[in-house]
Amino acid sequence: MYENESRMKTMNWKRLIGLDNLAEDYKFARSESTGYTSAQKIPDRWVGTTCGYCSVGCGIEIGVKDGRAVSSRPLASHPVNRGKLCPKGLSEHYTIGAENRAKYPLLRKNGKLERVTWQEALTTMVERFRKTQSTYGPASLGVISTGQLVTEEFYTLGKLVQLGFGTNNYDGNTTLCMATAVSGYKLSFGSDGPPGNYEDMERADVVMLIGANLADNHPILCQYLEANRNKTLIVADPRVTKTAMMADLHLPLKPRSDLALINGIAHILIHFNLIDRDYIEKHTTGFAELEKFLEGYTPERVSQITGLSQEVIFKTAFLYGRAKAAFVGWTMGVNHSTIGTATVNAICNLALLTGQIGRAGAAPFSITGQCNAMGTREVGFTSGMPGYRKFDDPADRAEFAGLLGIEESSLPAKRGLAYPDIIEAAVAKKIRALWIIGTNPLVSWPNQGVLRHALSNLDFLVVQDGYHPTPTTELADLVLPAGIWGEKEGTYTNSERRVSKVNKAVEPPGEARTDFDIFLGIAEQLGCRDSLFPGWTGPEDAFNEWRRVSRGRLCDYSGISYDLLAREGAVQWPLTEGEVPKQASRLYSDGIFKTADGKAKLICADWAPFPEQAGNGYPFVLNTGRTVEHWHTRTKTREVPILERLSPRAWLEMNPRDAKRLGLRSHEAVDVVSRRGAVRGIELRLTEITAPGQVFMPFHFHETNVNEVTQSAFDPISREPNYKQCAVRVERSGVHA
Amino acid sequence: MDSPLLYSAPSGLVQIARADDKSAPRELIPSRPLEAGEQYRFHFDMTKCIGCKCCVVACNEQNGNPADLNWRRVGEVEGGYYPLTQRHYLSMGCNHCIEPSCLIGCPVEAYTKDPATGVVVHSAEACIGCQYCTWNCSYGVPQYNPARGVVGKCDMCHNRLSDNMAPACVNACPEGAIAIEIVNIADWRRDYLSANAPGLPSADDSISTTRVTLPENLVPDLGRVDTNRVEPEHPHWPLVFMLVVTQLCVGAFIALWLLDAVGAGTDLKIAALASLALAGMSLGASTMHLGRPIHAWRAMRGLRRSWLSREVLTLSMFAGAAGVFAGLLFFGSPGFFAPGSSVPRLAAGLATALAGLAGITCSARIYIVRARPAWFSSYTVAEFFSTALLLGPAFVHMLDPRVPSAVLYASVAGGAAQLIAQAGKFLWLSQSEVFELRSSSLLLAGKLRALFVTRLAILVAAGIVIPMAATAPLLVSAAFAAAFAGELLGRYLFFVSVVPKNIAAGFSSARRAA
Repeated sequence: MYENESRMKTMNWKRLIGLDNLAEDYKFARSESTGYTSAQKIPDRWVGTTCGYCSVGCGIEIGVKDGRAVSSRPLASHPVNRGKLCPKGLSEHYTIGAENRAKYPLLRKNGKLERVTWQEALTTMVERFRKTQSTYGPASLGVISTGQLVTEEFYTLGKLVQLGFGTNNYDGNTTLCMATAVSGYKLSFGSDGPPGNYEDMERADVVMLIGANLADNHPILCQYLEANRNKTLIVADPRVTKTAMMADLHLPLKPRSDLALINGIAHILIHFNLIDRDYIEKHTTGFAELEKFLEGYTPERVSQITGLSQEVIFKTAFLYGRAKAAFVGWTMGVNHSTIGTATVNAICNLALLTGQIGRAGAAPFSITGQCNAMGTREVGFTSGMPGYRKFDDPADRAEFAGLLGIEESSLPAKRGLAYPDIIEAAVAKKIRALWIIGTNPLVSWPNQGVLRHALSNLDFLVVQDGYHPTPTTELADLVLPAGIWGEKEGTYTNSERRVSKVNKAVEPPGEARTDFDIFLGIAEQLGCRDSLFPGWTGPEDAFNEWRRVSRGRLCDYSGISYDLLAREGAVQWPLTEGEVPKQASRLYSDGIFKTADGKAKLICADWAPFPEQAGNGYPFVLNTGRTVEHWHTRTKTREVPILERLSPRAWLEMNPRDAKRLGLRSHEAVDVVSRRGAVRGIELRLTEITAPGQVFMPFHFHETNVNEVTQSAFDPISREPNYKQCAVRVERSGVHA
Repeated sequence: MDSPLLYSAPSGLVQIARADDKSAPRELIPSRPLEAGEQYRFHFDMTKCIGCKCCVVACNEQNGNPADLNWRRVGEVEGGYYPLTQRHYLSMGCNHCIEPSCLIGCPVEAYTKDPATGVVVHSAEACIGCQYCTWNCSYGVPQYNPARGVVGKCDMCHNRLSDNMAPACVNACPEGAIAIEIVNIADWRRDYLSANAPGLPSADDSISTTRVTLPENLVPDLGRVDTNRVEPEHPHWPLVFMLVVTQLCVGAFIALWLLDAVGAGTDLKIAALASLALAGMSLGASTMHLGRPIHAWRAMRGLRRSWLSREVLTLSMFAGAAGVFAGLLFFGSPGFFAPGSSVPRLAAGLATALAGLAGITCSARIYIVRARPAWFSSYTVAEFFSTALLLGPAFVHMLDPRVPSAVLYASVAGGAAQLIAQAGKFLWLSQSEVFELRSSSLLLAGKLRALFVTRLAILVAAGIVIPMAATAPLLVSAAFAAAFAGELLGRYLFFVSVVPKNIAAGFSSARRAA
């Protein structure tokens, strides 16, 4: 924006001879709200909202000047981020004014995307979807959404898809991310819902992070660790991440051996009686089976599986077992796995065995990914019904149908296809039309070859996104331009169940409309607007219905209103109407869980090696992950010049000892090849961060997409892909062209 | 609110220690005014930094800078063996040195060291965009903004500090790793050891005031991660041209003056006028190097300190004296001298020669800066004077082949001297243990190898062998042209093969290695 304008001004003669040095563009000014700063960054007004990247859920203010977003700053009063933002948040306003924002509906005519009216776009969409459904059955329509919309939009979309379009083949990209935590919580505790909160990181005396690189992925949460001076920080990660370097005890375990480690810890805890037998007795079931099962996880065997010494395993177990308050946090190192759900269950076991749950500092805690992944988990109509209701629970069905005033029979009988199964069904031509909202699978889906095959089979592909072109919108038959963060109102719910208001600062560009508007427009076209969304005009209508629908559920929003959020700032659920928001709320403080008998389940979660081991010409285990400068598929952050400057391209980390053997040098261009595909010309980084025999690559970059080589292997329960380990070989670029 | 987490109003931009923090309250900006003999400085706590680069983004936003200019940068240093690996980060703005080399070199006095705060402040208004400060700073702090035609740098947000607000970087850091402190200048001069850190050039160069808190038990091999990505520097074409041509002219005028003095001159007019024209052109062209050529005249302001100012002065004097000398050669002495007297002409010639020698010396001194180790040597002086000796006499000889053969031998001696200087310098670079010097040699032997070999080959052929062997005018002219091109190429290599000192960079936060 400003930079382009500056550059354009450079070409005049005054600038060339040096009379003009663009002093006007670079002048400074003082304002009460900003202090002394670059004058062009001083806004006319600040709009308080919540960050739209990750689920830390930071309060942020957007500075608006002449109707444009010109600056971002932390919302000082927000309880989560304590006056700080990460580099993405600090530059978030650039995502709004990006040049490649989608501005007009585009319909593919004669092979080319052409601008059409909204009327034509929505009419065509509904006609094509209806035609497909009438030809191949209602289930031939698939919908893949995201974790990036506001809760109100998720709630609206869920009803529109399940009750309006009548297909249950609806899932979100949250399946690539947090589905494993959801499945694990459901099995162990009877319901989804992270039990702890961020403050626990500050109040625990032992913090154990498993497969979580907070310093890169949730840097703002590092404040809580930094503030906790008395903690012992244990980080289990095969890579010596920034976070691992912060640890008092780093456990450099072999890839995907965490489940064995956790079982080994539980084995030692039981053996040395470092467990809370009273808690186990009162609040859990399955101890006898678990105790027997864990006999197999002797320190000798666990040492063999994990590559950690027995001494380190004992030390870890004793640290955890003797903690007054122990916090276990995890992210994608656990979730991105075929044994992810089992690993989550094992983590929950640890907490249950020691009674480390529901107290200050004590929690098994999934640190979520997207800004509103939690919102879609609670209100989404994908793997369950809104309010953590189960499709197969008659009471849940009856209650939910009653609340909506609809026939119970119109509710889907069961969960439809999960994301991987929608893709597989498209390959099998069972899904014939697909609607993708706010996600970019052409970067994020593992084993891209299969995805391209699936999408090429479709009769009609609709992609609704804030940006165009993206690798995914380029393949669309219809592109619906959506307003993004900063252009719409609603709420996000963060990892610690804190509901934060999202506000509109500027208008969407061109003819782009908010996702909420688009959904209502489609409902209108579909003829179900009045029945499903009677009298709805704005997101608050959706929120108020959701409050009613969630009342009495674990995720009770009934006490949270837009007024309350405006008055009190962000508050945590559950909050029943009439209650006063707590400073820090925790689930299961009473030891009563959402199972039939109110007791949590101790689950025998068996370790198994990851599916594609290195060998047979593919000697490296490839690990994937992130960098602090970028967000997911880079649709947004590649539009932010300073983030691109700081992290302009992908790299491949390899241990220097491996490189020496292969005769490769730092900065050399290499190809990463798996049985499924190859990434060409990636820059090699030699570093002791990565263990010999392993390589690491960030996944944000479509130009060098790691998902060309990752595999189609999924957790049997959560359906989450096993992104983190696959077998590859690395060779100098151009050698085997 | 009953929150134990207190943040200051009204702006929410100054972090106050959190009430429940068990550690001592963290003071991120000084709470008392400066006393005499004190200045502000940065404190960077490497034990806290997580490499998130919030400081970089906040700095760019604060100063409204485009993304490719970063007044604050975050470098990486790494060492150890898996899994006992260490990677640490260095977040650096300006070090607000006690002996700021940027300030000392600046020809237009655009820099001031604020007497009250010690902050090294740069004025974009005064700056003419000569970029000499960017060569002088060992930390790469001043950065040229081509869109503006001026340099810019971190000023510690001193205008915020004076309002009792934290600088943007300090304010943005989630870990509280950056702070502003007060330092006693005399104490710091005595012991500034904690200004040094792995990945940072030595604080000896300019007495950096930034204090770095290092983690305990650093592994001995902790070092920069960008050592394998050494890129050629900017060529500065107008300067390549200006230096070689002015040196040629100085050499030519000294030859002309000597020929005139010993009366061996035949007709020196053409050579004198041609040299004068070249000198004028090259000095004019050198202003094209400036971001703001219209303000070139300001470059005289820094005579007290700046070799660049002195170069401008001496070369201008050279051009002036050369003009007089050439005029006297052409028109003869004016009437108030005894007709035909050669005294004024010889005096003008002497003045031209002296100003020219002074000019080349000043030129060379510009490049003898600690921040650019491959230039920081007498090879730079040798290279510049060798160019003058090689090209000047050869130019005169080409324009008038009747001059005594001593002129030709002088040129060949210049060629030989240049060859020795080039070989000696390369040997010195390649034998060095210093990262920047060794990297310069690796550039010359690697990416720049073909050009470097060509440069040496031209020098031998056109500077030594052909002049000794050939007499045909066409061949002589061709040899001169080739020698001239060879010196231009040599000077290009001089500029691009230097590896400046700088703070350690991030692995990928720069251009891609070719």
